[in-house]
Formats: sequence, structure tokens, C-alpha cells
Amino acid sequence: MLWRQFAMEWRLYARDRVAMFWTMAFPVLLLLGFGTIFRNESGPRLSVVRVQAQASSPKDVALDQALTDLHLKVQSLSKAEAEARWSKGETAAQLEPDGDGYRLRLNSYLMAQAGATAGLVNQAWLMAQARLSGAPEPQRIPVQVESPGHKRSTNYASFLLPGLLGLNLVSMGLFSVGMVNVSYREKGKFRRLAVTPLPKWVFLLGQVLHRLTVTVAQAVILLLVGFLAFGIQNQGSFLDLLLIMTLGTGCFMAFGFALSGFAETSEGYAAISNLVFFPLMMLSGVYFTLDAAPVWLQHAVAVMPLAPFLRALRAVFNDGGSLAGHGLGLTIVAAWGLAAFLLAVKRFRWA
Amino acid sequence: MLTPALRIRGLRKTFPKVLAVAGVDLEVARGEVFGLLGPNGAGKTTTLEIIEGLTTADSGEIEILGLTWAKQGQEIRSRIGVQLQSTSLFNKITPREALDLYGSYYPKRRSTAELLDLVQLQEKADSYHITLSGGQQQRLALALALVNDPELVFLDEPTTGLDPQARRSLWDVVRRMKGEGRTIVLTTHYMDEAEALCDRLAIMDHGKVIATGTPASLIADLAIPSVVELTFDGAAPDPAAFAAALGQAVERRTDLWEIPTPDPKALLPRLLESAEAAAVPFQQVHIRRATLEDVFLHRTGRSLRE
Ligand SMILES: Nc1ncnc2c1ncn2[C@@H]1O[C@H](COP(=O)(O)OP(=O)(O)OP(=O)(O)O)[C@@H](O)[C@H]1O
Ligand SMILES: [Mg+2]
Repeated sequence: MLWRQFAMEWRLYARDRVAMFWTMAFPVLLLLGFGTIFRNESGPRLSVVRVQAQASSPKDVALDQALTDLHLKVQSLSKAEAEARWSKGETAAQLEPDGDGYRLRLNSYLMAQAGATAGLVNQAWLMAQARLSGAPEPQRIPVQVESPGHKRSTNYASFLLPGLLGLNLVSMGLFSVGMVNVSYREKGKFRRLAVTPLPKWVFLLGQVLHRLTVTVAQAVILLLVGFLAFGIQNQGSFLDLLLIMTLGTGCFMAFGFALSGFAETSEGYAAISNLVFFPLMMLSGVYFTLDAAPVWLQHAVAVMPLAPFLRALRAVFNDGGSLAGHGLGLTIVAAWGLAAFLLAVKRFRWA
Repeated sequence: MLTPALRIRGLRKTFPKVLAVAGVDLEVARGEVFGLLGPNGAGKTTTLEIIEGLTTADSGEIEILGLTWAKQGQEIRSRIGVQLQSTSLFNKITPREALDLYGSYYPKRRSTAELLDLVQLQEKADSYHITLSGGQQQRLALALALVNDPELVFLDEPTTGLDPQARRSLWDVVRRMKGEGRTIVLTTHYMDEAEALCDRLAIMDHGKVIATGTPASLIADLAIPSVVELTFDGAAPDPAAFAAALGQAVERRTDLWEIPTPDPKALLPRLLESAEAAAVPFQQVHIRRATLEDVFLHRTGRSLRE
């Protein structure tokens, strides 16, 4: 019965060519877009806006040289131009003359880039001063950017791919799957099933399995395109990757089905899913670290499913690591998935 | 001894602001074709959907084939067949696939070919549901209701939207099902259908059953087995003066007058005389047997189809 349900889901899905095309094509297009933009870079470059002085002094020349030596992208602008750019919020860091010396203004909205830039600017200033006075150049501590698995990718797109896989899966689960479910219920598509002996859990599991295979197919396409277009390779084992993707997909699909049990209408669902999506993203530790957050919040964050999923995915895909250190994380993902599925079955209504 | 196919006591259901079912008692014997008759909004669909387990009642008892929802839900589901008032399937499923799929939910099932044959959908067996006409979708819904070879079948307005030929063939299907010993509960707006198909009827209005019985007994209970009709070319005039002169109740319909009578033979000469005297501009005279429509009118003071 489960197999039939699953097979029929696929058959009906395959008939909806347009929807299928876009589900498959959208992440590929994203990857192609970002991959092309960042093709030869190891990530977005840091840049500083340099406000030109009235007349350029030897000090200015030496500083500019030092900034360039440190691989900072320097944009020289007049005071008026620089201010206009600043007001638009596009500038992360702006270096401007101040009396005899300089002042560095950092954009409070872009602190990650601005902070890194500030370090480099200060180094450059020390270098410039030494060069002017003929003193030996100050020694620098070399900095190197690498992943937790000690990989230094030369290709930003390869860092992007696991994130894309993960995000795509979360949004499929929370948004499309749950939304489709609610709108079908609204249209009364499940009412006829309610008067048959088909158990709810078989129906739901059939849907989850269908979605799971769709997502795996999507991932395969994405990996293939990543490889063909950018030479991105999975560094770890494909079996591990499949396991992580399966757990993650199952978990977030079940999330979507569980949430759909709480919404009466599609509009209501949109609100509820956002309510869950944002804390999930914000508290995942993906966007900022929560070292400064209260202890209880850190404990709560530690058991959220998104972060361990993404960590395991990156560790395998980018760093070629094994799953050994990720047992607990993946257990958390599986536990959330199971809990969400049980809740989905409990809350599911045919009409 | 066999329990009745269906027994309902004190069924009540209130929607926000609407009392949809206001205390319904029903009993349907095994092998019977039972009709629920009533105007729009009478509560027929709500009553059926409560029985089918789609809607929960506020109060009341239901026993289906001797089983109750609380204890034997799955068994009830596998032994009844349901045609909803409107059946919404996935757009791109074909009748053959739908019958195969729904059949797979049941322990006992009838073959897809046989069902397609029964509702004459062989030619459309592999067309997408969304491309079927309304009547064809309706017939597929009927076939789905029979997919598990059910003992008790609920049909909510099975002939609405069917052409006359398909309607007749549905009647045949219902009669054949009865011949196979199944019990059928159906709703309809059509008097002729209720009279032609149903062994017994319940007439519903405002959430209540206002009369039950065989079609013949319901009509006989009226004690006015005939109706004389005077038809007009256009709107019927006010009959008040004429009724007074005749000494007989006259009902005005859109384009005719109805005069219920126990004895049309005695009434007719008097009627024609009075009509001539009052220069009533009628076109034709019909005498007909009283129908369920008249039963409804008599019980509620309103016509079934307002
Ligand atoms: N889901 C609902 N929410 C609110 N009111 C409802 C709902 N379903 C039915 N009703 C109301 O309950 C009453 C009975 O409706 P029901 O559908 O049972 O009538 P019916 O006899 O089947 O009519 P019809 O012949 O038009 O099919 C109506 O007044 C209707 O407006
Ligand atoms: Mg109805």
C-alpha cells in the first residue's frame, strides 16, 4: 500500500512538467550564477574606500602602496563621492584624512567585512610608517582562511554548493511541501481519501518518501552540474553524503507536514512557516556565532537540527571528513525528523 | 438476527451560526434503497458526512452495520462506499489509475475493468481527470464508491449534472446494486427519482426529518391523491377571488394554479363553470396524481424547489 502510494505520487508529480522542471532547475541556476561570479576567487574580496587628500603627501603614497601590497581592493574617491557612497550603505570601511593623520570609519551593518578590513588597514599603516622612516618592516603574522576540515578551497563555488543543497532542502520542506499540503486540503483533494481505510501515516510517509527521492534526484543533478561546470568534487564518500541528505530531507519534509497540521489556510501557513523558519536560521549558528548569547539559548541552539546537518554536510563534502564526529549531530537531526513525523500524523486532517 | 444497516438517534450538528442538523433519527434496513429528500441547505449532506465519519456530530448515536465509529472505524471504512456531493481528485490522475489506487486501500475489491464498464467510462479510462466532463467525473465518483464491493453505499446527489440517459443508467446501477443485496442511502432533489428508486424516504427540512415512509404511503397520507392544474400563458393571476367563488383552496405557482382534490371527477365540471364565469384566461387543464412535491408543500407550506 505504501509502495503504491509512493509510486502514484511520483507518477502524478512527473506529469506536472513545469513544476518538476523548476524544482530541478532552480538550484542549478543559482549555482551557475554564483559559481560564475566567484569563479576564480577564494570568496568576495575585502575593499576599502579611500578618500583622497587635497594634495597627496609621501605619507599617502606609502600608505596606498602598503594597502595594495596587502591585497586590499582600494577605491579612491573624492570626499563628496565617498560620502554619497557611504550614505547608500555600500561602503564597509572608509579611510579618510583627519588633521595630520587618518581616521577609519566602519559600517556598523557590515561588521564582518569591516572588521577584517580594519585589521589590514592598520597593518598597512604600520608598514607605510616603517618604509618612510627607513626602519625595518614590521613582521606580519600570516593569516589563512580555511574550513573546519582544514581545506583551503581555491574555488568559492565549492564552498557554496553544500549550503545551496542544505538551504534548498529546508525551503522545500518548510515552504513548498507544507504549502502544497495545506492548499490541497483547502481544495478538498483529501476528503475522498478520508472515507477509505488508508491510514494517515501511510499517506504521509508516501509523500515524505516521494519528496525525499525528488530531493536526492535534485542533489545528484546539482552535483553533476557543479562538477561539469566548475570541477567541484565531493571530497568525502558518496554514501555518507546520501545518508546525510536522506536524514536532512526526511527531517525537514516532516517539519513541513507537521506545520501544515497547524494551519487552516495557505495564508495562515505562510505565516506559521516563517515563524519557524527564521528562528531556525538565525539560531542555527550559521549566520553569526552565539558566544555572547545567554547560556540557556546556547543550549537550545545546540539541539537545533539545521546546524549539525550543515556541519556534517560541509565536513563530508568540502573536507572529505568521515561521519565519526557527527554521530550526535545526526542523531539530533533524526530525532527531530521522527518527532516532526509523529506530530504530522497526529495533526493531519483530511479535510 | 441482522442489525439494521444504519441506525441513527438524536443527531445534532451546529456550524458557527447555523443549526445544520437538529436532531435526526433514522433507521435503514439491510437491502433497502433509502432516499433523503429536501431543499438546498436542509442538512442532507451534513447528515451523510457525519455518518461517513467526515464530520463530527455535536451529539447523537450512529450505528453502521452494527458497528460504531469509536470502536470499529477502520472496519466501517472498509465496508461502506461513498460518493461525496463533489469529489475532488488530483487533476492528472486517470479513471483507471484512480480505481486501481483506491482499490488498493481495501482488503476486498472489484476489478477496474468491471467498474469502468459499469459506469460506461471505458473510452475515457486513460484521460486525465481534469479533462473529463462534469457528468463523466460524477460517474467516476460513483465507480469509486463501489470499488470495495461495499455492503452499504452512500450516494450524495448522484444524478445531479447527468444527462437523461446517464441518469437512467445510474438508476439501473442502483437497482442492480439492490438486486445484489446491498443497502443504498442516497440524496436527491428529483421527485421522480425518489419515487422510481427508493423503497423508503425521509423528507428533511431545516435540519429535521419531517416525514418518513414509502413514497406511496407518504402520498396516500396526504388524503388528496389528485391535483388539478390550470396553466396560463405567462404569469398566473391572483387566485383569491376565484378560490372563494369555488369554495376550494387554490395554490398559485409561477404559471399555473394547483387545486388539490380527493375527487377530481366531481370537481372538474364545477371548476370549468366557475372559470368561465370569472373569465379566467387559462390555457389548459391537467389532472395529475399527487407527488412527493405536494407532500413537501403540504408539510412545509413551501415548494421543494423555491
Ligand atoms: N462547513 C460548513 N460551515 C458552515 N456551515 C455549513 C457548513 N456545511 C454546511 N453548512 C450549513 O449547514 C446547512 C446544511 O447544509 P447541507 O450541505 O447539509 O445541506 P444539503 O441538504 O446537503 O443541501 P444541498 O441540497 O444544497 O446539497 C446549510 O445551511 C449550510 O449553509
Ligand atoms: Mg448536499
